[in-house]
Amino acid sequence: MLPLSLLRTGQNHQILVELKNGETYNGILVNCDNWMNINLKNVIRTSKDTDKFWKIQSCYIRGNTIKYISVPDEIIDLVVEEEHTFKSYQPTGRGDGSGRGRGRGGENSRGRGEYTGRGRGDYSNRGRGGGTGGDSSSSRGRGDGSTRGRGGEFRGRGGRGRGGVPS
Amino acid sequence: MSFGSSSLGDEVDKKLIVVLRDGKKFIGTMRTFDQFANIVLQDTIERVYVGDCYSDKSLGVFFIRGDNVVILGEIDPDKEVQEKRLQKVSWDEIQKLYELEKQKKEEEEQLKRKIMTDSGLTIDSILNIDEF
Repeated sequence: MLPLSLLRTGQNHQILVELKNGETYNGILVNCDNWMNINLKNVIRTSKDTDKFWKIQSCYIRGNTIKYISVPDEIIDLVVEEEHTFKSYQPTGRGDGSGRGRGRGGENSRGRGEYTGRGRGDYSNRGRGGGTGGDSSSSRGRGDGSTRGRGGEFRGRGGRGRGGVPS
Repeated sequence: MSFGSSSLGDEVDKKLIVVLRDGKKFIGTMRTFDQFANIVLQDTIERVYVGDCYSDKSLGVFFIRGDNVVILGEIDPDKEVQEKRLQKVSWDEIQKLYELEKQKKEEEEQLKRKIMTDSGLTIDSILNIDEF
């Protein structure tokens, strides 16, 4: 779990942001992005010496001006929960990829085969398609799948298969 | 999973003290970090030291942007007990002490600057800017 995903979990919660210049912004987190730019609503802005206060409907804070953020304690539990659901959603990290292979035969045997191969997605969501091409029966195709899949509905797509030397 | 010796990976789930560029010190259990040294601390306290006194303020879960981090130090829970030679005071009190010390430092600084300018040296004021 990365720090920024914790921040993302904190959406719709009250947070306190202190900027590098010492001002603090206390409000509800609406949105944040990978650069830590954040959107707040119902904000109370406090000056550096904590002697002036402003009420702001909504504001946008550029990520690089942030010093630190205080988030509610329950966010950590939420993050853990979310991680669990994500993991159960993707039980083994293996997809049932029905790969499609496109094979090319050997020297003499040229052709295009379109077979349904078996795909296997490993954790990084790569599909691997097997396809035999042409007439060469012993040639096996191995695809370098570029498909990205998620969870059960993983679909591996085989890449180009290359045929072996005809036997 | 190896990131070389400069990784924070070993410090995960350990009690750390984090010193920021503005001098603030936070103590908490580091739960996660990323390549920018953004850090998430749990059960965080802010600790202010003035002279022989210190005070804590509890802050809960704390997200520190990596830019501001100067030092991360692991705290040995056994040795932490030794800190008892310092006196714990209330938060309000430490704030007062802090203000006093700040004033004292400022006066010293002004005096120093005066002596320097009297002897023909000018200090570039940019060195004294604590805002960033």
